[in-house]
Amino acid sequence: MKHSIIIATLLVTGIINAQSNYEKGMQKAFSLWGTKATEASNLFERIANAESNNWLPFYYAAQINIINSFGEKDEKKLNAQLKKAQDLINEATTISKDNPEILVLQALLHTAWVAYDGATYGMTLSGKVIELYTKAARIDPENPRVVYCKAEWDMGGAKYFGQDTTPFCKDLERAIELFANFKPETPFHPNWGKERAAQVLASCKQ
Amino acid sequence: MKNLLALIILLTGIQFNAQTTINGTVTNTKGEIIVGANIYLEGTYDGSTTNEKGEFSFSTTEAGTQTLIVSYLSYETYTMVGDISYMKDLSVKLREDVSTLDAVILSAGTFSAGDNSKVNVLKPLDVVTTASALGDFVGALQTLPGTTTVSEDGRLFVRGGEAEETQIFIDGIRVLTPYSPTTNNTPTRGRYSPFLFDGITFSTGGYSAEYGQALSSVLLLNTVDEPDQEKTDIGIMSVGATLGNTQKWKKSSVSVNASYINLAPYNAVFSDRNDWIKPFETLSGETVFRKRTNSGLLKLYGAFDTTNFELTQEDINYDDNIRFKLKNSNLYFNSSYQGVLNDNWSVFGGASYTHGNNKLNIIDRDIKDTENSIHAKLKFKNRINNRFKLYMGAEYFSTDFHEDYFDDVVSPINYGFTNNIAAAFVEADIFLSKVLAFKTGLRGEYSNLFKDFSVAPRLSVAYKTSSKGQFSLAYGNFYQNPSNYILKFSQDLKPQNTSHYIFNYQYNADRRIFRAEAYYKKYDNLVKFDTEFAGFDSQYNNNGSGFAKGIDFFWRDSKSAKNLDYWISYSLLDTKRDYRNYESEAQPNFANTHNLSVVGKYFITDWRSQVGLSYSFASGRTYTNPNNPGFLNSKTKPYNSLSLNWAYLISPQKILYASVNNVLGFKNVNGYQYANSPDMNGNFARRALLPAADQFFFVGFFWTISEDKKSNQLDKL
Repeated sequence: MKHSIIIATLLVTGIINAQSNYEKGMQKAFSLWGTKATEASNLFERIANAESNNWLPFYYAAQINIINSFGEKDEKKLNAQLKKAQDLINEATTISKDNPEILVLQALLHTAWVAYDGATYGMTLSGKVIELYTKAARIDPENPRVVYCKAEWDMGGAKYFGQDTTPFCKDLERAIELFANFKPETPFHPNWGKERAAQVLASCKQ
Repeated sequence: MKNLLALIILLTGIQFNAQTTINGTVTNTKGEIIVGANIYLEGTYDGSTTNEKGEFSFSTTEAGTQTLIVSYLSYETYTMVGDISYMKDLSVKLREDVSTLDAVILSAGTFSAGDNSKVNVLKPLDVVTTASALGDFVGALQTLPGTTTVSEDGRLFVRGGEAEETQIFIDGIRVLTPYSPTTNNTPTRGRYSPFLFDGITFSTGGYSAEYGQALSSVLLLNTVDEPDQEKTDIGIMSVGATLGNTQKWKKSSVSVNASYINLAPYNAVFSDRNDWIKPFETLSGETVFRKRTNSGLLKLYGAFDTTNFELTQEDINYDDNIRFKLKNSNLYFNSSYQGVLNDNWSVFGGASYTHGNNKLNIIDRDIKDTENSIHAKLKFKNRINNRFKLYMGAEYFSTDFHEDYFDDVVSPINYGFTNNIAAAFVEADIFLSKVLAFKTGLRGEYSNLFKDFSVAPRLSVAYKTSSKGQFSLAYGNFYQNPSNYILKFSQDLKPQNTSHYIFNYQYNADRRIFRAEAYYKKYDNLVKFDTEFAGFDSQYNNNGSGFAKGIDFFWRDSKSAKNLDYWISYSLLDTKRDYRNYESEAQPNFANTHNLSVVGKYFITDWRSQVGLSYSFASGRTYTNPNNPGFLNSKTKPYNSLSLNWAYLISPQKILYASVNNVLGFKNVNGYQYANSPDMNGNFARRALLPAADQFFFVGFFWTISEDKKSNQLDKL
């Protein structure tokens, strides 16, 4: 009995220790994100390496690399960043299959290429992007990021072909509603996109 | 209780263990500091990022032997295993990753189209948006330097080589009958529809030891690994119709594509120089099945097509027109598997089967031929590290050719041959640094027909001179057995041989590419015979030889003007050969000295249209004028053609497409046919060999039905 208590105590301490390490690490990474994106991405990668069964740090490390790629004009740097992001997404996917959040991130990675050179990548990647959003919506139709990102992509496509973008505004409205009711599984699960969705919706109403 | 105490001490001991500081600097091999590198102990949270001076410092409670990892974009990850107490004032030098976009590439002789390669001369879309190409991948490649314009033939003639010297591969496996049959004054097309392929590599010389039985060139087509989505494509054209469908499941997908072409309505509106009895008609179907396994990808590709036509054509030696009837059917099946065996080894295996059947009626002669061929290949790749990769493999070709001949004069004859070839190859890619790389290989082939063994070395070197420019050198030795039209009459021969020497400069900047390539090519053991046409009575030998030398230029720019993309190709070719029934060394009639191609595409956003233009110029081709002394003693006038196309997006999924070849109606002459005997004045009369039609018009409507309501067939046009 005595022994089992010891073991139990030990185990619990161990778990609490690990938990707090993870939480500390994640919190620090999020706080670095605003000012020092590279350090944040490096820290997420370190956490990912230590927590090899958790897709979240891989996801965020990939997300930082993808966000940095929008507006990047140097193809060498863009290619290196997006290749790295792709590796991280692959790792995250191995841990969590058919995860709508990761599918959205993958779609954003392709979108970064389209944004860089639409003439070259638009035709080859747009089908892939659509397929990813369709798949994500099938798995989780209530996920606000799926609804919002798909709507923003559709609006971009409609603009390109000189078509009316207003039909997608109601998708954005629906996304805003979903954002309002969205509860992430843990404080570290993806919970971004609400502000940007509101901005895009505001442009709709002009 | 004592135990518990010990444990608590142990536990708190770990908690309050003395902290060790790990510090140092990170630079590259040139000593330049790296800012933002990630440094950490593997499996722990302990780590840091280098600051503006390339320095890092962090403390850890870990002890003993640990693994320190240093990583940064575009550099190879550095790993150090050692006792933590020694990880002080470290000076880490990261080596540049040779697989990055700005690293040197082994590219001499090669043009790539696709997303995978680092320098794309063509994009996958170009195959189908080039005005003169009419959706044929071979037609698009003819706008690249190194090819010559043989407008009535349509096949690829590369650097003074015959069309048979270029071999085509689908997913690494040989296609034995790549071209559709046509009349002798109409260009042929590739049999396979371009939209199933997403990668095209066209090599005009100096290619890898993996490829053999090609004297001049290889064209590598890769089928799409995974289609993006389920869809149905419908096309209605002035010359026929196409229908395609793609279905996807969790790990597999299937695409089918069928097309029917009938030129009867077109010929009724625009008559040509042929006298059609039965206009050109072809029915074709293709299907690709793909399945992902845990560590690999399996692809099955099958294609069937059947073509028939009958016509009469003028001939200067016959008062009546010559009747020509053809019925061709072709079945091609290709399967391949590529998979990862472990961290270092991967495997590729594939096999193809071709069954071709031709029935020809020429005047009162009937010829029936049947070809059955297989090709099987097994290849291993050992990626020892990023800088050293080893490839090895073996392959086997077997062709069984059989022909029956009937006419009123002689009794029926049948003849043929079996041509079996076994080959093995080994090749290494060696990157000494980000600026210097080698590829070296060796290929051995055994021809069972000739009982002949040949060894062909290959070598290429690439050196990067600046961030955007690089020089390459390539050398290779290539063997190929003579073509079917020779082998069916004589098998007492040897493989033909070429050597390539290539010097290349390439400049690749943001959406602009310039390349210049000089080459020298030497031909040996070419087949000669002593009659007008190859036949049973001919005497054959391998005493032919020849050479080709020249320089190719290419410039593409899609940056300078918004929405405009254009490229210019120019080739200068000097070639002579003594082969077939040539009396002496001469410039063959399929080689032009100068070839120029200009292709432009402009997207007009307001009109939702892409307009395209393509101009080609080729200097005259040789022919023999028997009224003058000599062999291949005259040249035709130069060839000129300007083609335009226009694609209009009615809606994202509906496209209207129109094109006109040779808009300005240049009267091109491909050569001359002379009478066998002179007239009363001792003059040989002649007839110009003209294209079936000077111009070609095409209109099509393409509609895609898919879940996303967005994709379309623009990439197929």
